[in-house]
Amino acid sequence: MTPKMTSNITPNTTQNVPDVAITGIGSVSPYGPLAGLIPQSPPEPTTITAWKTAGLRRAFLVPPFRPASVVPGLKTRRLDRLSAWALVASSLAIKDAGIDLNQVDRSRVAVVFATAFGCVDLTEAFYLSAAANGWNGTDPSTFPETLPSAPASHVSMFQGLRGPNVTVSNKYFAGETALIQAASLLRNRHADLAIVLAGDAIAPTLYSWYEVAGLLSPACYNSDALPQAGGFIPSEGIAALVMQRSGSSDVRSEARAYARIGSGRWAAGGEAAKIIQQMLGDSVPSLTVCSGNGAPCATSPTSALARQISGDGAAIILPQAFALGLAGTGALFHLILGLSGKLGGELRIRPGNGQALLLATAADNGFAALGLELP
Amino acid sequence: MTDIHKTIVVTGVGVVSPYGLGLDCLQAGMLSGKSCLVPTKDLYPGFEGTTAPVGELALLAKNFSSRHSRTDQLAAVAAGDAIANSGSDRSSFRESGIVMANTVGGLTEIDTGIAEDPAAWYRRPGGLLRGSSYPFAHVADAVGEHFGIRGPRCAISVACASGAMAIALAANMLLDGAASIILAGGSDPLCPFTLSGFNSLRALDPNPCSPFDQNRKGLNLGEGSAVLILETLAGASARNANILAVLRGWAMTNDAFHTTAPQQQGSGLADCIHLSMDMAEVSGDEIGYVNAHGTGTPLNDIAEANAYEAAFRGRNHPIPVSSTKSYFGHCLGAAGALEAAVTIMAVRAGALLPTLRLTDPIDSPGVDWLRGEVKRQPLPLAMSVSSGFGGSNTVLIFGSGRS
Repeated sequence: MTPKMTSNITPNTTQNVPDVAITGIGSVSPYGPLAGLIPQSPPEPTTITAWKTAGLRRAFLVPPFRPASVVPGLKTRRLDRLSAWALVASSLAIKDAGIDLNQVDRSRVAVVFATAFGCVDLTEAFYLSAAANGWNGTDPSTFPETLPSAPASHVSMFQGLRGPNVTVSNKYFAGETALIQAASLLRNRHADLAIVLAGDAIAPTLYSWYEVAGLLSPACYNSDALPQAGGFIPSEGIAALVMQRSGSSDVRSEARAYARIGSGRWAAGGEAAKIIQQMLGDSVPSLTVCSGNGAPCATSPTSALARQISGDGAAIILPQAFALGLAGTGALFHLILGLSGKLGGELRIRPGNGQALLLATAADNGFAALGLELP
Repeated sequence: MTDIHKTIVVTGVGVVSPYGLGLDCLQAGMLSGKSCLVPTKDLYPGFEGTTAPVGELALLAKNFSSRHSRTDQLAAVAAGDAIANSGSDRSSFRESGIVMANTVGGLTEIDTGIAEDPAAWYRRPGGLLRGSSYPFAHVADAVGEHFGIRGPRCAISVACASGAMAIALAANMLLDGAASIILAGGSDPLCPFTLSGFNSLRALDPNPCSPFDQNRKGLNLGEGSAVLILETLAGASARNANILAVLRGWAMTNDAFHTTAPQQQGSGLADCIHLSMDMAEVSGDEIGYVNAHGTGTPLNDIAEANAYEAAFRGRNHPIPVSSTKSYFGHCLGAAGALEAAVTIMAVRAGALLPTLRLTDPIDSPGVDWLRGEVKRQPLPLAMSVSSGFGGSNTVLIFGSGRS
């Protein structure tokens, strides 16, 4: 059957009208699987026990849980952990949004997933099977699950979503890229609803890279060291958002909006402040949610840029260590943490000004920015 | 009336393929009917089969360091060719966007030792640098850094539809105003990891493949990269760029069916074809040629034939379809971009390319399975179709730049 057709492509000519709303949140993180906002108490790194380490090694790890206990009927036995978490987080986000997919034209639902490293657990398993059995003796059931796009594919299969299914990345701004691409799919009428996910899992090959490169925080080796002591603490987890275009015919128009997303810009260089101010038009954000790239000093150039854009009086939410530990895919968690602080009442912004900015900078002058309107 | 701000045009095409460097080289090889599929041994110990390798890459990819994988190098060579093909100075692309697809990333630089003892592997000379090329985002960065391009960068990985989807998403980005010019395409090399994977799935034909043949036995892997330079007609006109083709329509769908198998009726792909024609505001009768995904695997080709039957039902004549994977194999994340380049070449040359080695086509009355000689005729509109593991489909429609 041919899916319902929409009108021809309409370019986004009203860059500053926030016509895309975030209506659902789900996550699998060191807090465990959660629907909706995240508690404000920061998690502690935990000891790695999944593989043999040379002494104490810690990271922000997802506590073990049975996916089927969170999403009844979910089968994840042969899947990479990242795929299993994507299924859980997306289900929680859809539930949080109050959406009954049976009432939605699923050919108009997109899935956009951001990852830096993809399915590293099963990629390692595939290499180990080649080491053990030779390249002619590898496991056929593992190979397709090693693809970076496997988690997004499983979300589409499990939920029956037949719209665009996209897996994106960017060294520093993978999460922001997913948000911007999802908004683009909605605005350009390729979908009415989008499930946006971003995250990664820690495996021995990944953790060892950071360790051999000398990037790990003292808190990774010493349980008495504070996560704030500096250095990088690797994190794992997936955040999921439900995004929908205002006025889309098949989706509830009365849905609660955590935030509305305006325009977004990202680049590998250039005059960040000028480009972002141009993007924002006349509005001056009273709140900036700083995202980051995982580098130890990510915070201060981002804060400086935020002040350049919004002035000294604007509130700034600094990155939390666990979201920074996700490197390029932490943006969705940064955003959720920012919303959790704002909507939980811990943060005050200028009365009558709900304009906010999700902002990240990178060591090489790159930046990513999304204009937000908060309720 | 054409809205020049909403019309996406192609102003450069760069290709590195088993035929060599450049679109002209690809065109000459394909129009002569030359197959690049060759018997191959020792891509890993025990491998024996048929592939389509790119030779002499080292000569083409100068100034690369050990942190650049073969995937990076193929992409940068194709991007450089696209810039040269556009006739514009490199500085014209400084603020451009880059959307690059791949599936292999830096797996070419990694061996099984990394999983057995990661720390020891990284401590080997160059280990950290080789490991750092693993993420699939590295390819877009390699292109950007090599040419000093600092606009938005996006990496795409959606299995074998990756290259085509990069082009589709880049077109959306242009409509959003994210950049005024975008280099979009895909790159993937031959690599033990993927060869072993497809071999384990028994998806490889040991001999040169025969897409859409009743006796097809599987696919052959190839390698390469293609990069298109995309911009709006308004932007291209303002800088007096040479317009090679118009991207008239694009669409993306998912089968939501199976990890490796396509939905057998081809419904997801048929929907994607409908959506792309709807965007292009053309009917099935107006499409003169379909460059198919056409892997040569039993399941893909029958699903694809069913999709064409459904999507082009009611056409006055059977839809002409061929698979150019019969010339240079399946280049995975580069396939959709390379086949977009082939489709543009077909439109510009007015050439309907046959599927090689197609002797006993799938019974599909609504499809004109092109075989034998190249058909020469005006070709105002042609379609490039891509699908992949996980059910992703992408369809691109190209029209002549002259129109």
